[in-house]
Amino acid sequence: MYLVANISVEICAATSCRLCTQFCPEANTILYNNEAGKEKGYKYGSAYVAVDRCKGCAQCVWVCDNMAKHHAIKMVMIDQLPNAAITDNVTYGEKSTTAQLASPVIG
Amino acid sequence: MSLDYVKFSTGFEKFMPKEYRDMVEHGPFGRKVSVSQMGTFKEILEEHPMCAGCAMTLFIRLAMISFPNPEDTITVGTAGCGRLAISQAAIPFVYGNYGDQNGVASGLSRGLRLRFGDKPKDVVVMVGDGGMADIGFSGTLHSWFRKEKFATIMLDNEVYGNTGGQESGMTNKGAVLKMAPLGKKFEKMDMVSMAKVAGCAYVATVVPNNPRRVESVIKKAVLIAREVGPTYIQAYTSCNIEYAIPTDKVMEDAKNVENDRYQFSEYITDEAKQYLSERYGYKEFLPKPAAAAAIPQA
Ligand SMILES: Cc1ncc(C[n+]2csc(CCOP(=O)(O)OP(=O)(O)O)c2C)c(N)n1
Ligand code: SF4
Ligand code: SF4
Ligand code: SF4
Repeated sequence: MYLVANISVEICAATSCRLCTQFCPEANTILYNNEAGKEKGYKYGSAYVAVDRCKGCAQCVWVCDNMAKHHAIKMVMIDQLPNAAITDNVTYGEKSTTAQLASPVIG
Repeated sequence: MSLDYVKFSTGFEKFMPKEYRDMVEHGPFGRKVSVSQMGTFKEILEEHPMCAGCAMTLFIRLAMISFPNPEDTITVGTAGCGRLAISQAAIPFVYGNYGDQNGVASGLSRGLRLRFGDKPKDVVVMVGDGGMADIGFSGTLHSWFRKEKFATIMLDNEVYGNTGGQESGMTNKGAVLKMAPLGKKFEKMDMVSMAKVAGCAYVATVVPNNPRRVESVIKKAVLIAREVGPTYIQAYTSCNIEYAIPTDKVMEDAKNVENDRYQFSEYITDEAKQYLSERYGYKEFLPKPAAAAAIPQA
């Protein structure tokens, strides 16, 4: 098993910083959903990780901890994530994306 | 080389992979995207085998987002780590022999001008420090002296990363590497000064821990190369493998190196400033109003 980044919607959706994706070396890996967290009253939407593209470098953790100072990202073993986004389940919209969450481990 | 090549052939849409469909429908072609919109549109860069956490990868990702007209852009590369990602993007990539990139790009950009006249087709060279400052050195310098109009970007990881850690001319004096155990004996080459002497119209040094700045220098370098002259960007893109930088400290390293010896610098000729302001509305380069003292008093 291996580590992937996991973003806490509760923490992330309380801000609108959008920093981490600008520093992830991998394209289309940290995406934004403007509606995430709205049902719980959060204002801004949240970043999330398409875990099939994540290489586990933890650069986003450093950025969220040290630049954004929000501490929203943790590295988690992929089989410990009950639900996650993968590229096949991501839908692009006008200014946002949505993802259907599913178990990232098949089999 | 136009918007036509990023659409579905009739009847084939349903057979195309999701990534391709996303690219056609939500990619950057034919519209303006910027780093501030990252994470909301499909990028032209796809998955590739470069190492986890590599700063060069991040820089290439940012560069691909910053090209002013991706549908009219061709990248040119050579042996080295960068080509592993640059070749995995939805724009044409030309790969020659090790070090011949600026010769290939010279012919390409001249040919495109003959074929397409005034319609800009952008040629962007992206190559490692070994490929550019060592093996491709004479070709690079000669293209600048000849005033070939295309952008040259050095992915400066200060080592031959792809072949396991030999020193390059851009390695710092004293650096000990896996395949340079005695330490580098001479100073890092000053390619920035050479670019200026050789007549580049725009020269910048940049580090990828400031994505908006990367975007700004790439846009300027590509636009100026359309009509004014050759342009050169030298980007610090650390090799976390050969310099043993933990992947979660790559941006901290970039910040430290930037403060220490890789400060942002930008050189731009007056002709290039005028071109950017007149042609592309760059306000920062508009001619300053005449000084008050120069206005005759009534
Ligand atoms: C003519 C020739 N000589 C040697 C090589 C082997 N080679 C492949 S990549 C490379 C080093 C690349 O170093 P650099 O240009 O600094 O790029 P990096 O991998 O560090 O990004 C070498 C020597 C080659 N491909 N062709
Ligand atoms: S840096 Fe942290 S708080 Fe900011 S968008 Fe990313 S996960 Fe959310
Ligand atoms: S761990 Fe690395 S690859 Fe994965 S999302 Fe974070 S920055 Fe991107
Ligand atoms: S060897 Fe170094 S430069 Fe090459 S992909 Fe790996 S980290 Fe990046």
